[in-house]
Amino acid sequence: MRRIALLSVALISLVAVANAATRPRYGGTLRVAIQSAPTTFELNSATTPTDYWDMTRMLALVGDTLVNVDALDRPLPALALAWRSDSSARRWEFTLRPGINFHDGSAASAPAIAQILGALHPEWTVRSAGDSLIIETDAPHPSLLAELALPRNLILTRNSSGIPSGTGPFRIVEFEPGKLLKLVASDGYWGGRPFIDTLEIDFGESLRAQALSLELSRADLVEATPQSPSSSSRIRTSLPVELMALVFAPNSKADIHLREALALSIDRKPIQSVLFKGAAEPTDSILPNWMSGYSAAFSTRPNLVRAKTLLADSRPSSLLLSYDPRDPRAQLIAERMALNARDVGITVQVSLSGSADIQLLRVALPSPDAVLSLREAARQLVLPQPSLQGNSVEDLYQAERGLLDGKNVIPLFHLPLAGAVGPRVRGWAPDQLGGWNLPDSWLEDSRLAESRQEDSR
Amino acid sequence: MSFRQKLLFLFVATVLVCVAVMSLSVYSTMRHSFELANQDRANSVAAQFRSEFQQRGDAVERKVEAVASSDTVQRIAVDVNRGSPDSSSYVTEAHPLAAQHQLDFLELVDANGVILSSSQWPAKFGYSEPSASSATGPSGPFLKREELPSGPALGLFAIRAVHVGEQPLFVMGGERLDQGFLSTLDIPTGTRVLLYQNLDAKWNPQNLLDLNGPAAGADRVEPLIEKVRSTGREAQAPIYWTPDFADAEFFHAIPLSGPNHQLMGVLLVGSSRRPLIELERRIVSTAMLVGGLGIVMAVLASLWFAARVTRPVVSLAEAARRVAAGDLSARVEVESHDELGELAASFNRMTEDLLQQKDRAVQAERVAAWRELARRLAHELKNPLFPLQVTVENLLRAKKKSPEMFEEVFHEGTTTLLAEINNLKNIIARFSEFSKMPQPQQRPTEMNDVVQSVLMVFQAQLHENARIEVHTDLAANLPEISADPDLVHRALSNLILNAIDAMPNGGELTVRTAAVRAGESGDRVAISVSDTGSGLTPEECARLFTPYYTTKQHGTGLGLAIVQSVVSDHGGKISVESTKEKGTTFRIELPV
Repeated sequence: MRRIALLSVALISLVAVANAATRPRYGGTLRVAIQSAPTTFELNSATTPTDYWDMTRMLALVGDTLVNVDALDRPLPALALAWRSDSSARRWEFTLRPGINFHDGSAASAPAIAQILGALHPEWTVRSAGDSLIIETDAPHPSLLAELALPRNLILTRNSSGIPSGTGPFRIVEFEPGKLLKLVASDGYWGGRPFIDTLEIDFGESLRAQALSLELSRADLVEATPQSPSSSSRIRTSLPVELMALVFAPNSKADIHLREALALSIDRKPIQSVLFKGAAEPTDSILPNWMSGYSAAFSTRPNLVRAKTLLADSRPSSLLLSYDPRDPRAQLIAERMALNARDVGITVQVSLSGSADIQLLRVALPSPDAVLSLREAARQLVLPQPSLQGNSVEDLYQAERGLLDGKNVIPLFHLPLAGAVGPRVRGWAPDQLGGWNLPDSWLEDSRLAESRQEDSR
Repeated sequence: MSFRQKLLFLFVATVLVCVAVMSLSVYSTMRHSFELANQDRANSVAAQFRSEFQQRGDAVERKVEAVASSDTVQRIAVDVNRGSPDSSSYVTEAHPLAAQHQLDFLELVDANGVILSSSQWPAKFGYSEPSASSATGPSGPFLKREELPSGPALGLFAIRAVHVGEQPLFVMGGERLDQGFLSTLDIPTGTRVLLYQNLDAKWNPQNLLDLNGPAAGADRVEPLIEKVRSTGREAQAPIYWTPDFADAEFFHAIPLSGPNHQLMGVLLVGSSRRPLIELERRIVSTAMLVGGLGIVMAVLASLWFAARVTRPVVSLAEAARRVAAGDLSARVEVESHDELGELAASFNRMTEDLLQQKDRAVQAERVAAWRELARRLAHELKNPLFPLQVTVENLLRAKKKSPEMFEEVFHEGTTTLLAEINNLKNIIARFSEFSKMPQPQQRPTEMNDVVQSVLMVFQAQLHENARIEVHTDLAANLPEISADPDLVHRALSNLILNAIDAMPNGGELTVRTAAVRAGESGDRVAISVSDTGSGLTPEECARLFTPYYTTKQHGTGLGLAIVQSVVSDHGGKISVESTKEKGTTFRIELPV
């Protein structure tokens, strides 16, 4: 599976290269539409994966982390040019990129960064040593680089209004809470000035409205429903970075047999092929296979006979299933679950009102680091934090098994993120973890873009 | 109860019975007619709904036909025949098609009976739909149970197969049979339609729908629906929702069957009984009013007729009472020539005869009385006259034959003459006294005092005759009466004198007084005088108070007549009880 993932990365890179073959040009305003409508720039306020991804994408335009990681969990330099740790992985030393300033003009020096990180992680000891930054942890932290690459560890300062200021390729010039964010290219960006002058991000646009805006050229970049890779050349799909799962409420009246019977009744394949148009990965594990490598060990095949046998010992009851109404696919998926459940004799009512026994949830898997994502998923699923005995894949597998043994969660699908761009956007190469990666994109002249569009038809 | 009341009662009862019988007959006939009319109306409405139902089925067929002819369905049919169609492209196709053609249910089903797209349950893609795959050609509308996320529902379906290649694509669409369906039916005024969705094995009141959802009072309809469920045939019955019959409805239950004749639902077409009941009530109230007036008029007529019929009888009864009371002059007016007139005439003749007989009897009695008076006078006067005649003859004989003894004879003779003349005076005085009975001068009188004063008068005479023993039994606390004590004294004296005369050989004389209370004629005081003499015969008792009648050799026969006269003047009464050889008791009762 990992080979397949790498092959996909290579193919997408080739497409990006092909698109970038046209000579870049500076200037223009890129119009973006997103579903969420944030009123602050706090990641904690993101209540759904969509909100989370939208916020991380916007903050990533403004700020940088010390390091980045790629889809293979390999660290890449960002604000830190180099790093090293001791053998116990408790002490890490980062050599910072020199001469970097925040958008407000202040220096992104080691002491300033140490102060920001120290505030974000009081459990660490963060200090500067000349141009270097030293992070010390009480326990060995082999995933520190992946942790630092998470959006929550973006090096940002905030003004009195809470508007973030970072070292990223764009800086914020206008923010209308819940409506609009306007950014302009940062001329002093350490990675080189972006080709695009201005970014205008409209908030609160539904997927349908976004698709319409893209079709009418009122938007250049929109979110999209994940499609199979061959469905459209203008849609980019990430690796599966979300988990869709059924989560039982703590006070649910479903006993362990009923939960297991429900899990065994679900036929994921038709949902994957029809509702997700092949873009989702059926799963019974929390972590996607590209991340863990063992997802196939969790069977996703329905077993109606076994489910009915389990139900023989279970008390019949009607369960209430709720879903995220902002997710256009969620209702249909939930109703399909109810239909599957009915086949084994479980009554599931799909409703947004009342005290739900089960929720159809999506949770973000924010890091390519399996341990970090498992911990983050457990936190979002209100599961106990996994207990890892070591750093091996077996330890990770056992930890994940441990989380799922209680049948409080029924993993269903791993979902990718997708975005679509209009015809005048060139050189767009989103990263495989769902980031927009806009600094290298440029806007083609509109007349040329229309001409290209006519040719493509 | 008088004859008139009886006659009136008879007339009224006859009228009431006639009116009741007629009313019941009319009411029964009217109700039967109304029931038939109501039933005919319900049948007519039910037939209308059958037609409406068929039309709705035809409409569903046309809609499904239109869906099958749409470009979208044709495109999908082409895709299906190309092999390996992209099912994900069809999942959401059914819903807009259903909305566009106003269908509640629409499913696109492939040749294998697998649902490609479902409007009513989009998540149902990939599931099989046996009803569609079993359809071999165009079929009429049919009822079908459809599973929905919210539970089972009942629908009116039609199927069309789209053939654009070897693999047909089935379009199965329908309309939901629920309250929404009912609301689209053309319902006549006064008619209500209920639908029972036979979705459960057992009766479920929640499955009975009216225009607003689950119908209230479903349990009352349960027997009718259960009858249809058990027989599968139409049934009808009135349903009484409340004790008021006007709230009742006559329901015609029509079974709605599916393709395999299984009962899918029951359509209940109800006609309100209110118009007929109200008409019936108006008729009944009018009839009652008219009947009541008729009864009143009949009663009045009966009163008049009974009065007219019974008036001669009443006159006859009144005249008879007067005759019984002694008024023989009573006559009845003869007003008709029928039997009653003849009866009245006969009565009049009878009273005239009685009057004549009475006059003759009175005349005879008067003659008898005069004869008795003459006899008594002759008897009374003869006795003293004979000594007078003998004395005068002795005087004449002595003067002529013995002058020497004339002086002596003259002296004896004059003595005798004076004595007899005095005797004649006494006789004449008693007759005179009887004719001059004074009117009583009444005042409060203690009767015990009067009794004792009388006994005091006779004390010497009773003492002389020591063989008569006197007993008194005078009641204490005797009330005073209003009486003339002298006259009462005189009456009691006569009774005691008679008692003494009745006991020449001695005996017992008893005088009693007593209070007689709470009689019909008011409180009275009773005085009885009893002797133990020879007694009287009943015949003697009957004539005892007749004037001049006496059982004594030297009586005038006026004593007891005087007693009766005194008692009568005081408003009292006198009676006598006597047993031969044992004695006689006279009892006087005087009002207080």
